[in-house]
Amino acid sequence: MGSREGRLSAEYMVEIVDLHKRFGFHEVLKGVNLKVRPSEVLVIVGPSGSGKSTMLRCVNGLEHATSGHIYIEGVDITDHKVDINAMRQRVGIVFQSFNLFPHLTTLRNVTLAPIKVRKMDAAEAEDKALRLLERVGLKEKASAYPAHLSGGQQQRVAIARALAMDPDLMLFDEVTSALDPELVKEVLDVMKDLAREGMTMMVVTHEMGFAKEVGDRLIFMDDGNIVEEGQPEAIFTNPQSPRAIDFFSKIL
Amino acid sequence: MAAVALVVFLAVFFTRFEAGKKFVDEFFNWQIFKKTMPYVARGLWVTIRLAVISEICILAAGLMVALVRISRVKPFRFVAAVYIDVIRGMPLLLQIFIVYFGLAYMGLNLSQFVAGVIALTICYAAYEAEIFRAGIESIHKGQMEAARSLGMGYLKAMRYIILPQAIRNVIPPLSNEFIALLKDTALVATIGLAEVFFRGREMMGKYASVTPLMGAALCYLIITLPLMRLVQYMTTRLSMKD
Repeated sequence: MGSREGRLSAEYMVEIVDLHKRFGFHEVLKGVNLKVRPSEVLVIVGPSGSGKSTMLRCVNGLEHATSGHIYIEGVDITDHKVDINAMRQRVGIVFQSFNLFPHLTTLRNVTLAPIKVRKMDAAEAEDKALRLLERVGLKEKASAYPAHLSGGQQQRVAIARALAMDPDLMLFDEVTSALDPELVKEVLDVMKDLAREGMTMMVVTHEMGFAKEVGDRLIFMDDGNIVEEGQPEAIFTNPQSPRAIDFFSKIL
Repeated sequence: MAAVALVVFLAVFFTRFEAGKKFVDEFFNWQIFKKTMPYVARGLWVTIRLAVISEICILAAGLMVALVRISRVKPFRFVAAVYIDVIRGMPLLLQIFIVYFGLAYMGLNLSQFVAGVIALTICYAAYEAEIFRAGIESIHKGQMEAARSLGMGYLKAMRYIILPQAIRNVIPPLSNEFIALLKDTALVATIGLAEVFFRGREMMGKYASVTPLMGAALCYLIITLPLMRLVQYMTTRLSMKD
């Protein structure tokens, strides 16, 4: 319990210190420093290959940092002694390709981890899952299999699945990039609700409207570095670096 | 027209010509068939028991070997790979002899049945491990990532997320392996287990006729033909679901 209080007293939800990540000879992250406060919505943009997804994946240990430190609620997750499974329960992630479990119903997708990992009572987990599915507007799909859902619906289930573990931090890795245009809004709306309720979020996205509307802060990454950082609106209208000027002129 | 001509030709050949009549008398002698079939067919129970008990051991061992084969611990992976290759590189018949006589020389006198189960398990587990491995590796890596990101450990993610999907995918190839195993149980006759082939051969000697062997063939076909249809059916059902 002491450690829980220690975490809560940490000033930052996430603190990344000089993070390097190399795949073979290719250095994807070249010394990233970043702090995210509780309840902050941080939007991460940049061209493909800039390292934004890799950085996000480092934050919940799907990629191992080559060097540097990542503190989640004050705990250094790059320390080998840290219980990575316990840490991951506090950090939810939603993927571009949904990654729902195709052999399980929607409800079972959401209840599995609470039951098997947190040893939650099955009835209690189902109650909670149904509430979460209602929140993302999919309560009536509880008994459907992922294959019978649209991309937008699958992604909303994926969000509910992550929320079922009561995370303190949510990571979104280009969650609308694989969706048909008309399905993007339903997913973004769920994310906006989450942001309003005070969830701490790190969002890798190309949705500039979303960034402007709910982003507290935006970082622009290029070639493994954070190049610009500030208010989304300010960076859109007045980017400083040549790379950012070029990038925003193409996508806005 | 051609089919009718063929039937007429065969009918004439087998009933009117000396060579044809001799063939039928050797292979399909009804009197000998009636006398020997009950004895041969009793071996079917041994064959089925041997195949089913072995298959249960094979599935468990094969899955374990597959998991070791894909383990992140390099020496484990290496040992599993060596086992799989060495076993697959040797005749099953040889393995049956090594297990039965080898353990007997060590003073461990196993029954032919138990030796058969052990040898078949050692051999087929190597093949089925490769099938399990292919099944596991065919599951998109996003599945493991999603499971791990929810706080599941590696083994929990395997058990609840990866294996249920992987096993479903490998049911058709595993069923084909079971059919192959069922036929390979005949090799255990060489160490004296009185299963179908053993009894057929015994009766062949006693009556100096091939007919008991045809009876043994019939015994195998009674099981394997429906099984093959079943595998076909399952394969189409599974591929339709995707």
